[in-house]
Amino acid sequence: MKRVASVVMLLIFVLTAFSVKLTFWTAPNPYQEEFWKIMVTQWNKQRPDVQIEVQTIPAAGSSEEAILTALAAGNAPDFCENIFSGFGAQLADIGAIYAFDNFGTDFTKLVQTRKMTSIIEKWEVDGKHYVFPIYSNPMLFWWRGDILKQLGYNNPPRTYSEIYDLSKKFADGKKKFTMQVISGRNWWDRWYDFITYYYAATGGKAYIDTAKRKANFGDATGLKIANFIYTMFQNKYTAVELGTNPFYTGSILGKITGPWEVNQAKDTFPKVVPNIWISTPPVPDDYPKDKPVYTIADSKGLVIFSTCKDKKAAFEFISWVFSNAQNDALWIEKTQMPPAREDLTTNPVFAKYMEDKFFKAYSSNVPYAVPPALITNTIDVNQAMSTHLVEPLMYLKGKPEDILNKAVKEINKVLF
Amino acid sequence: MSKRSQFGRKERVFGYSIIIPYIAYTAIFWGYPFVWMLILAFTKWNFFSKPSFVWLDNFLKMFTDSVFLQIILNTLNFLAYLIPMILISSLLFALALKKVKFGRTFIMLSFLIANVSSGVAYSLLFSNLFAVNGPVNRIFDALFGVTIPWFSDPQLAIFSICLIITWKFIGYYGLILYAGLQQIPQSLYEAAELDGANGNVLFWKITLPLLNPSLVTVTVLAIMLTFGIFTEPYLITGGGPMQRTTTFMIYMYDTAFKRIDPSYATTIAIVTALLSYGLVTLIRKVFEREVSFV
Repeated sequence: MKRVASVVMLLIFVLTAFSVKLTFWTAPNPYQEEFWKIMVTQWNKQRPDVQIEVQTIPAAGSSEEAILTALAAGNAPDFCENIFSGFGAQLADIGAIYAFDNFGTDFTKLVQTRKMTSIIEKWEVDGKHYVFPIYSNPMLFWWRGDILKQLGYNNPPRTYSEIYDLSKKFADGKKKFTMQVISGRNWWDRWYDFITYYYAATGGKAYIDTAKRKANFGDATGLKIANFIYTMFQNKYTAVELGTNPFYTGSILGKITGPWEVNQAKDTFPKVVPNIWISTPPVPDDYPKDKPVYTIADSKGLVIFSTCKDKKAAFEFISWVFSNAQNDALWIEKTQMPPAREDLTTNPVFAKYMEDKFFKAYSSNVPYAVPPALITNTIDVNQAMSTHLVEPLMYLKGKPEDILNKAVKEINKVLF
Repeated sequence: MSKRSQFGRKERVFGYSIIIPYIAYTAIFWGYPFVWMLILAFTKWNFFSKPSFVWLDNFLKMFTDSVFLQIILNTLNFLAYLIPMILISSLLFALALKKVKFGRTFIMLSFLIANVSSGVAYSLLFSNLFAVNGPVNRIFDALFGVTIPWFSDPQLAIFSICLIITWKFIGYYGLILYAGLQQIPQSLYEAAELDGANGNVLFWKITLPLLNPSLVTVTVLAIMLTFGIFTEPYLITGGGPMQRTTTFMIYMYDTAFKRIDPSYATTIAIVTALLSYGLVTLIRKVFEREVSFV
């Protein structure tokens, strides 16, 4: 017996000594870190030949900065999560990441097992898949149900006109505003305002034609959205700066957010949380009631770097994690974010999470959540959208139609 | 006899052991980045592939880059507010400090706290203070029935950011001016008073001219500060409204790490450094006077 034990120990020692050691970077977020640590511990026990070391993305201005600096310094990890689709497209463009399609049928099988055949289509860059989507957060609106009830509402407003009516009852233009219409001034905020409204109003139509490299949003629907934003600011139903936690203090009735705010809201504002109503983004008045409302997906995924020491081993780990639905259940438990899979509402493994109103709302909308356009110059397009579209609308600098037309021209210049 | 033999082996070893750490430090932390900066400015690099030589393309690109030209105007706009605001407030602080008899150190330290505060923390604090429904606007609304779009109007946004920066640096620059004031001999004031000079004359004819070196120092520091503004607009206005608070630093950062174009970002950095150096030289040439207390 002792001899067998010694041989096993020796074998483990030899395997560990000559094993592949891969470095895996995870999001600097305690919930996600916890999930990955559990996964990696289990894997390392099972596979002494492929040892993985988890590290959080080093502190920097942003994950992108940390990754690019590491790439430049030649100390990039072997694989990394927390990659936004647009950044994935940029990394693919410079040849820094490895396409999952190279794993052939193993990749196809994984996509089928994880029930993400349709989701993965939206992550295609030049016909290849460089990012493996982990989660897909549909951005939804939260409304103060308690205040809406006092104002005589049983449901959150659905259309632009309903929002105007609500505004007439609630907004005073000084302390009280109906909703946060514009998410902020940074370039990434455009995903959560104009682009979200465009997806909602068009049934998820692409705002950029990536093949022709031109803007699609200069159409009649784009104009309706421009008019909506303009009207909200013109009548002071909304404002640019709304102070600290305006939603929780009752200064505004509605705002767009993702599921990451649920745990934080439960901890910080436990009295407000039970009164929150959740809805899809507002739509133009003529949008059919029976048609699903699309929204933007704040989704992130995993990439394998071209410099990875053993790409096959990294893929084996990824495949091992995402082939098991129980691991996605653990992900939900730890992070409260819906995994990027299409069977969340039908798979019994996830049934118990559907009892939570927030999780149910977010997971039911995963099929209608569209990621941003996969272009390499996202920042310039979004920046131009801020400067030539959203800001002139906010500051009422001209007619909405002229503003929209000029913005389309400017963005086409950037795209061309 | 050669110069080398003036020193023995031991002395030479001692000499080298003293200068080598400095030379090594300079070579690693100054020389290497400097050479790398020059390489980047004349090449196209994307963090991953090998840099490819592009001659002056990066520099020529600037002439057609409307954002870069906008940033030059933004910086002039920032300077137009910041320099007078910083000079006047620091001078008032220094003059007041000179009049204070008790608790001078405490006051100095209190003002210096702003200087060592975290940029992120106070940016968020001011952003909330000046929000449309924030405390400042509530006071304005209660008193005058109006709210001020502190960060929404382009000019007010620049002014508000300058206000925050002035708050941060008033203690630091005030101390420089205070040290300058301390150097002016009391006898000069006494002599002028005997000649019948009033407070106004003392200030304009003695204090201000003799404070010239300190005032120029503060102006130079404030110019360099303006070219380096980053945290406040990045966190509060995101470079808006209408890109009017976008600064060189924001543009460099976004270009390097978001647009994945470190070569162009480096070129912007070089030109920014040259512009600030040029302006500092000009200011010194126009305003600097030699002052001696004999």
